[in-house]
Amino acid sequence: MPESVRALVERFKPAVSVRPYGAVFTNTSEFMNIGYGDVIDLGGKHYLVLGDESERRFGMEDPKFWVKRCIEMECGQYRILKLEFQESFDQHIGPLTITCHRSAAKEARILRLVAGDPRFMQGQGVKDSGGNMVRVLERVAGRRLDLNIEDIHTSHREYFFDVYPGILERYMAACQAIHHLHQHGETHGDIRRDHLYVDHKTGDYCWIDFDYGYDSVENPFGLDLFGLGNILSFISGKGVHAIQDVDTAALSITEDDCALFFRHRVVNLKKIFPYIPEDLNRVFMHYSAASEVFYETVPELLADLEPCLDHLRRA
Amino acid sequence: MDFKNILISVDASDNALRAVDYAATILAGAQGVRVTLLFIERAPNRDKFENEDAWLNQCRLDHDRVFDFLTKARSVLVAAGLPAEAVSERTVLCSAEPSIAQTILDVQQEGGYGTLVVGRRGLTKGEEFLFGSVSSKLVHNAKNCAVWVVQ
Repeated sequence: MPESVRALVERFKPAVSVRPYGAVFTNTSEFMNIGYGDVIDLGGKHYLVLGDESERRFGMEDPKFWVKRCIEMECGQYRILKLEFQESFDQHIGPLTITCHRSAAKEARILRLVAGDPRFMQGQGVKDSGGNMVRVLERVAGRRLDLNIEDIHTSHREYFFDVYPGILERYMAACQAIHHLHQHGETHGDIRRDHLYVDHKTGDYCWIDFDYGYDSVENPFGLDLFGLGNILSFISGKGVHAIQDVDTAALSITEDDCALFFRHRVVNLKKIFPYIPEDLNRVFMHYSAASEVFYETVPELLADLEPCLDHLRRA
Repeated sequence: MDFKNILISVDASDNALRAVDYAATILAGAQGVRVTLLFIERAPNRDKFENEDAWLNQCRLDHDRVFDFLTKARSVLVAAGLPAEAVSERTVLCSAEPSIAQTILDVQQEGGYGTLVVGRRGLTKGEEFLFGSVSSKLVHNAKNCAVWVVQ
């Protein structure tokens, strides 16, 4: 390791145990070989690798070897480096299988588009010496929205009348942010509730992770609209309500009351929480197995939600 | 609109070939009919490919596939009895916006086509939500023309 980089490691190495003075990488093609203690030299800056990022879903930890937790040694700030990992894979949405691809170029493009926009994670794409598009990301100073909602320990009724209007309003702003991408010919591509964060300071919502893409289709925003509906259902129900968790007979819940793609999830929330206004429930029902009409654009969804928010505010 | 001025929208799929076969059967022996085979070309998503060469290669493959399809579709129509000079082909480039359906409708309006023929994939409700359906949009939005949807 060069003396100059060694001095930076000395100055910025974290208090935790780190293998000192690993290798310096300017080409990240072999990202499996880059581990803690190594340094990635990129765009004139040096990133000390602390470890691989991992995703925790369904109680399982899934390591992402191409995503490195780092310290940018020139400033001492925490960074996440997403190294280029081009892959295609099948994604399953209920009974459907969709071929999806991971694209560093797409994410770098969106980062440029949303630079300075607090509704999105911030960072930039930088090419390494091997021509790989590395995304250098800032840490989102916030917490996942779904975890925040799960931590609200009140009845649904109290939540719905006291807390939910504020959440819905901010969520609608987050939907508007997605529309901003669509207006520029981009899609988020992976809208799920663990990809939406709440800013610690402002309370506003911030989207992360834009590297998923799909083949062009007639309805290019369908998958994003589908994701927005899932989150809407989650925030409105204060969680997911599976048919096995409710008394389907007493509530007269049928297959038509469940989500189009997840037939065990109830989206006709009014049957569980009768105080939910009809106009809002109608929005949920556009995502049900019974629906014949679907949202194709964010403005269509927001046009239906806006009067609902007004009603909730007046209630 | 001239109903004998017919636009068959194709995409090199089996569904499109069924639409061409159907039109050939119906139009065999018809007098004064003109048919345009329309292909809306949309480049494969560049993000999906590792480099420019891989993407260009896919573009070439797609182009060849469509060329072969249009040649075959023309021969089906001519073999059914349509005069060769009554059949033409047209390719129109389309980006993400407007949609393929809208591009077809634009061509239909500009060309004064009174009949629009299209194949149908037979999507499930879920697929239609996520991916959208060209044939459904055509049926809903076409003006001043008959739409033949062939399953």
